[in-house]
Amino acid sequence: MSQHDTTRRDLMAGAAALAGLIALPNLAHAQGAPIKLGSLTPLTGAGGPYGPVMVKAIKAVVDEVNAAGGVLGRKVELISEDDQTNPEAGVRAARKLIDVDRVSAILGTWASSVTTAVAPLCWDSKTFLATVSGADPITALPHQGYLVRTQPNTTLQGRKFGEFALEQGAKRVFFVSPQTPFQRSQFENITLAVKAKGGDTGALIYDDKKPSYRSEVDEIARFRPDALVLGGYAPDTTVLLRDLYRAGFTAKKIAFGYSVNQKLVESLPADVVEGVFTISPSSAEGSKAYERLVKLIGVSNPDPYTTQVYDQVNLVLMAIALAGDASGTAIKDNIRKVSQAPGGVKVDNALDGLKAIAARQPVDYDGASGPCDFLETGDIADCRFRYEQVRAGKINLIKIA
Amino acid sequence: MSILAQAILNGVMTGTLIAVPAIGFTAIFAVLRYPSFGVAAYVTIGGFAGWFANTMWGAGVLPALVIAFLVAGAVGVAGEEGALRRLRPAGALTVAIATIALNLILENVVRFLFGNDLRGYDLPLKPDLRFLDLRVGPQQIENVVLAGLVMLAVFAFLRFSRFGKAMRAVADNVDLARLKGIDPQVVAITTLFLGAGLSGVGGVLLAVDTSIDPLTGARILLSVFAAAVLGGLGSIPGAVVGAFAVGIAEELSLLVVPATYRSAIGFAAILVMLTFRPRGIFGERAV
Repeated sequence: MSQHDTTRRDLMAGAAALAGLIALPNLAHAQGAPIKLGSLTPLTGAGGPYGPVMVKAIKAVVDEVNAAGGVLGRKVELISEDDQTNPEAGVRAARKLIDVDRVSAILGTWASSVTTAVAPLCWDSKTFLATVSGADPITALPHQGYLVRTQPNTTLQGRKFGEFALEQGAKRVFFVSPQTPFQRSQFENITLAVKAKGGDTGALIYDDKKPSYRSEVDEIARFRPDALVLGGYAPDTTVLLRDLYRAGFTAKKIAFGYSVNQKLVESLPADVVEGVFTISPSSAEGSKAYERLVKLIGVSNPDPYTTQVYDQVNLVLMAIALAGDASGTAIKDNIRKVSQAPGGVKVDNALDGLKAIAARQPVDYDGASGPCDFLETGDIADCRFRYEQVRAGKINLIKIA
Repeated sequence: MSILAQAILNGVMTGTLIAVPAIGFTAIFAVLRYPSFGVAAYVTIGGFAGWFANTMWGAGVLPALVIAFLVAGAVGVAGEEGALRRLRPAGALTVAIATIALNLILENVVRFLFGNDLRGYDLPLKPDLRFLDLRVGPQQIENVVLAGLVMLAVFAFLRFSRFGKAMRAVADNVDLARLKGIDPQVVAITTLFLGAGLSGVGGVLLAVDTSIDPLTGARILLSVFAAAVLGGLGSIPGAVVGAFAVGIAEELSLLVVPATYRSAIGFAAILVMLTFRPRGIFGERAV
């Protein structure tokens, strides 16, 4: 019994230790606690092919900036989480980043469903969110400026798909897609473009977890389309393409670049993917920022998402430097001052940007994904698209426009 | 009319893919008396084992099926006997929940070894054959034949082999079987090997028809479970009938409800069956 008696001295010592523990984080802060950034990318699931390279690009910039002395005299620390291309897992990971790690910004959310689920947590906690998702409703969320995206929205993308189908001589365009946040807007904007030229459209929304789509293919064929727009992700698109081929479906096929990618092409017999067109938002290929990113991560042909997160981390670090403060609110208030300051010094990486900011010069960043100028809503103002076609098992560039 | 016939034909093909794992699932349930959701992982593991044999050693579909059966069977025995055996006295629900955990672990092992990418077997993809306005793929016909042979072999094994008889005896009445000198432990291991192995075979059939990734098994788990419940949990002929019922219902549903709701058909089938005939189509639990 006496063993468990607490003496006054023990109590005092305990209280003092506790007080010390509580004071510790503040103490550390005073000595320059690291600035924490979170990456939330799909390392697994449908977006699995993209997340790891995206993290690599963010990490490379963070390392580079740390090697040059960090930002505001503090090291930058990257905490990387996996959203599994799944909103539930995304929310769990975002909670961890916000509540446990206390990051200032979350970068890289990929699937629109994940971004839509994670965004409210971010603006509620005043954490900045930069995303590569394209669904229209995302920037319509009441995010109070705590959200920007480097990906063009679906209104723009849908129109490009419709116009391209017309260019290919199609009059009847059919759209197939699983249930995604951008499916409706994609179809509406394809329809607007096609009907404006007197064409007609139809759509089918399918379950993306099925081992075969034979009956779906029958339904598509009944519409007798000249062109089919494939709106799915890589796993379901693979199954669908096989079944289309087996059914002897001959209409032109147009898909998102993220779905019909090199890996999908390699996983299917050449005949099945022959002639499929793909459309994706284009990176600023050939620009200095792009070349720099290629060298930095050692990937010869980085996909658009990788170029976009590279720009996101550069912009966020510069915004922190300009604000002299690493909070999410500081990033929100300063991101446009480093991305598009009128008459600012053109920079294409954070190192040069940080030097310019230290010299009190205004900064206008042009990155590896494009000009990165944001509208009030958080959408980017301008973007080019990349049109490609699969020929003999290779994805060939047709044009960037 | 031909639309309806085509949908039914497609349903038979889908049913074939569900049937073999459903037999595996139901065999484990009949003897060990818990639903093993590990079958999703065994389907995936079988699919990958066959893929490895096919692309690395140039194995055809038949050798791939054998390898998938052996590998998935071995993993099944190791997983369920190694990790879950001590949980069995705690009741079916506990073990069932543990199989979900086991499934996640195995799925992630596959992910670790092979990555997330889609993999296709190195087999020529042939266009469909057409007759009377209907179409069917040569690979699908081959699948139906293979699945049919596998099912026949399972029935023959259960009916005529010593082990098969022992399995049926244990499924009927464990205590009586033990009195007759049957070691339930040996029967449990055999059943797990058979059940997991069959799921693996199903994985190869699924993969040659489409493609595989670490979530392939998880994607068909609901349909497999629905087929087993529909047939009367524990009845192997029931599982086959249930699989075709679910397959055909899923395809027919496309004619009346949007394709997005296709998975809901499995749920609806389970719900209707449990409400009106909880014992399933084939009544009593019997192998």
